[in-house]
Amino acid sequence: MDAFTRTHRTGSTKQHIKGVVSMVQKLKQASSKKKASAALALTVATSMVLAACGGGSSNTESGTNASTDSGSSKATTLKVEVFDRGNSPKGSTITNNYLTNFVQDNFGTPNNINMEFVPVPRSEETNKLNVLMASGSDVPDIVFTYDSGTFYRYAQQGGLTDLTELLDQYGPNLKQFLTDETLAYGQLEGKQYGLPAKRSHLGKYSSFIRQDWLDKLGLPVPQTTDELYTTLKAFKEQDPGQTGGKVIPLGMSIAPAQYEPLIWSFIKPMTEEESYTLTQQLSSRDYPILLPGFKDAMSFMNKLYNEGLMSPDFSLDKDKTKLSENVTKGLVGFFSEDDMNPYYPDGMYATLQKNNANAVLSAVDVYTNEEGKHPKPEYSPIGMYIMIPKASKHAAEAIKYLDWMASGDNLFQMQNGVEGENYTLVNDVPVVNADAADEIKNRLYNQGDMAIISNGKQLGDADKNVEAYVVGMPEKYQEDTRKALTISRTDTIKPILFDKPIEAQAKYGTSLLDKFNEIIVKLTMVKPDQFDSTYDQMIKEYLANGGQAILDERTAAYKAMKQ
Amino acid sequence: MNAILYFKRYWQMYALLFLPVLYFAIFKYGPMYGIIIAFKDFNFFQGINGSEWIGLDAFREVFAMPDFTKTLRNTLMLNLLDLMVSFPAPLILAVMLYELKITWFKKISQTILYIPHFISWVIIGGIVYQVFGTQSGMINNIVTSMGFDAIPFLTDKNDWLFTYLIVGVWQSAGWGTIIYLAALTGINRELFEAADVDGAGRFRKIWSITLPSLKPTIVTLLIISLGNMIAIGFERPYIIGNTSVRDYSDVLSTFVYRVGIESGQYTIATVVGLFQAVVGLVFVLGANYASKKLADQSIL
Repeated sequence: MDAFTRTHRTGSTKQHIKGVVSMVQKLKQASSKKKASAALALTVATSMVLAACGGGSSNTESGTNASTDSGSSKATTLKVEVFDRGNSPKGSTITNNYLTNFVQDNFGTPNNINMEFVPVPRSEETNKLNVLMASGSDVPDIVFTYDSGTFYRYAQQGGLTDLTELLDQYGPNLKQFLTDETLAYGQLEGKQYGLPAKRSHLGKYSSFIRQDWLDKLGLPVPQTTDELYTTLKAFKEQDPGQTGGKVIPLGMSIAPAQYEPLIWSFIKPMTEEESYTLTQQLSSRDYPILLPGFKDAMSFMNKLYNEGLMSPDFSLDKDKTKLSENVTKGLVGFFSEDDMNPYYPDGMYATLQKNNANAVLSAVDVYTNEEGKHPKPEYSPIGMYIMIPKASKHAAEAIKYLDWMASGDNLFQMQNGVEGENYTLVNDVPVVNADAADEIKNRLYNQGDMAIISNGKQLGDADKNVEAYVVGMPEKYQEDTRKALTISRTDTIKPILFDKPIEAQAKYGTSLLDKFNEIIVKLTMVKPDQFDSTYDQMIKEYLANGGQAILDERTAAYKAMKQ
Repeated sequence: MNAILYFKRYWQMYALLFLPVLYFAIFKYGPMYGIIIAFKDFNFFQGINGSEWIGLDAFREVFAMPDFTKTLRNTLMLNLLDLMVSFPAPLILAVMLYELKITWFKKISQTILYIPHFISWVIIGGIVYQVFGTQSGMINNIVTSMGFDAIPFLTDKNDWLFTYLIVGVWQSAGWGTIIYLAALTGINRELFEAADVDGAGRFRKIWSITLPSLKPTIVTLLIISLGNMIAIGFERPYIIGNTSVRDYSDVLSTFVYRVGIESGQYTIATVVGLFQAVVGLVFVLGANYASKKLADQSIL
């Protein structure tokens, strides 16, 4: 899940629809090679139409501007990519709304720059960006992507502007805002090819248990993985939710939010060398498949599955649709999920309580490693990669724009709107004014896509950032949200960053990710007596399909880094 | 002299043909220029011309990929099974429909049979999960309520093959009957009357009149299917397939999607596409040649 959807997570139905829509779009784009090229042509055509429209609207704007500051030198046009999620409220468009005007008035006009926003449909982000980049002259001056592979590919193929000097010259505020830790993610062999957005909350996962079931059975909240197993068994045997045998003690899916907390808790504490060499990064996420303890994790999942303690159809559930459905129906006793996901208005918990007023879902931190800790992965400190294509003639203006966003309270205003109208400050945390008129609320409908230098609200420190999420939740769930957000930040494992991209990962990443999911599914579902042989077989296949190449390259890169 | 007269008389025909030919030149032959990508280390900032030639390196790389071998095998396997199951289905259906005498019933069943053809695979995928799911699927609800173990239609690879084929028949059989029914309308009714006089039964008539009249159609369709042996649609395996049956559901089209579109390795994707096209051509020509020799029927 990318960062923006993360801040805008809503209920299960919406997620489901989103899933289907994105699937449909994926299919439309690539239903076959032929169709893919047709789709490409279509995208090109649409982008030209869209570009034409965008150009038209901003021309009229620039017309009025030019007449007011007549005499000054000719205004430059700065083109900035913006995600179009098709959710523009009535009266505004993705290229002309409160925030685009805010940017034009506060940055554009004073600097004699016309801001032009180039819409890219969110769901076909990468494909559309590829088309824009390949078009050369027509490419926006600021583009971005969440996909690290795409960023590295552009950088390596020489398609991006080196920003190292420009950043020193025009972006002191930006540099200070992003910090060296974040900027490191945008560097390639010492050169700054991308500016990664700064992420405000790094926590990822929490687990949730049906507290009312525990109370009914007189059981304590499980504190360790072993205790969890006992609890799950009790859920299965005593069926406290009276599901008529349909109880799913552990809700599982084939999405990372469900399996990652379980698997990582089995990984043995690792040395720095092990973490660098044995971790496999597939599509921007670290996977522990070769780390000691992975087999134990699989063996535990195998046990749960074969004893009927886990969702039987989890392998069909890629986008958590089935899981959400089962949770809201009151069939699931325990599951892991993105930390605050269940608490959104009309989210999982709200729907569950609508179906069963007595249901209580508590955030818990259960999976335990041999040291008694609760290890779980955290996000890398970045959001999307902001890039300036080599074809851009306005790299300096582009950096100025980002620097403007990072200076003063511009970012705060873009993210929170107008004080007294959109929010009120409580203990330095802006609390959204929920009673505001739609017209006022709608000002910020795309703030996550406009305030590109940040991922999530930035209020100075992690606790305040988290608090901003908490106060955005329905009041009765705020305490639970706070707890889940604390759990997700406890005992976290940081992602591994090399000073140069691992090429084998870019090459085999997506294929191996599918393979990895296949391995989890197979090892979980196989009969226990065939577990060992299947494990050996699957690992062998994994290594042969590129895992070994990644391992070798990471080992070499680690050695080079240590010299 | 004759040629000029000929053109004077028929130029309108050629004028009519001009636009379709132009269409093919622009949209079918023009893009073939992109095949060059298969022989280049494609870098889209430099464009097709600016990228470096790499000869057959990309082909070597593709043929050495374990995933390629597997997806090629799966493509051929799924298509072959499909040919065995889905190819005869419309033929049988068409003959059965042809035998019906009540016109309104025939019309209604025909319509109902080909409606699935118009349903998007995404929706069919949803239906399949509702019907065949292990935990909450319709069929398995019945199976488990009778005290049997649930059948993993979607999660066991062999059971999945069955699901895949059945869904294919359901989706395409009705539509396939249209061509056969059209061919059947051309049969001379007198043949049946003569057969009646000779005392032939229903099956005798099907065997000796209906099927032989359909022979050219069957051969044509068979040649076309064989030509498509190595090409496989993207939607059906991608949507009906899932992680637990990837051993079988991963085919060339999903492989190209993953490698080409998702990982941005356009050279590799082009190589696979070109390979499919060449092998497909060989299959069509081969099948055509064989049918010319064996059955004296051909389409080329």
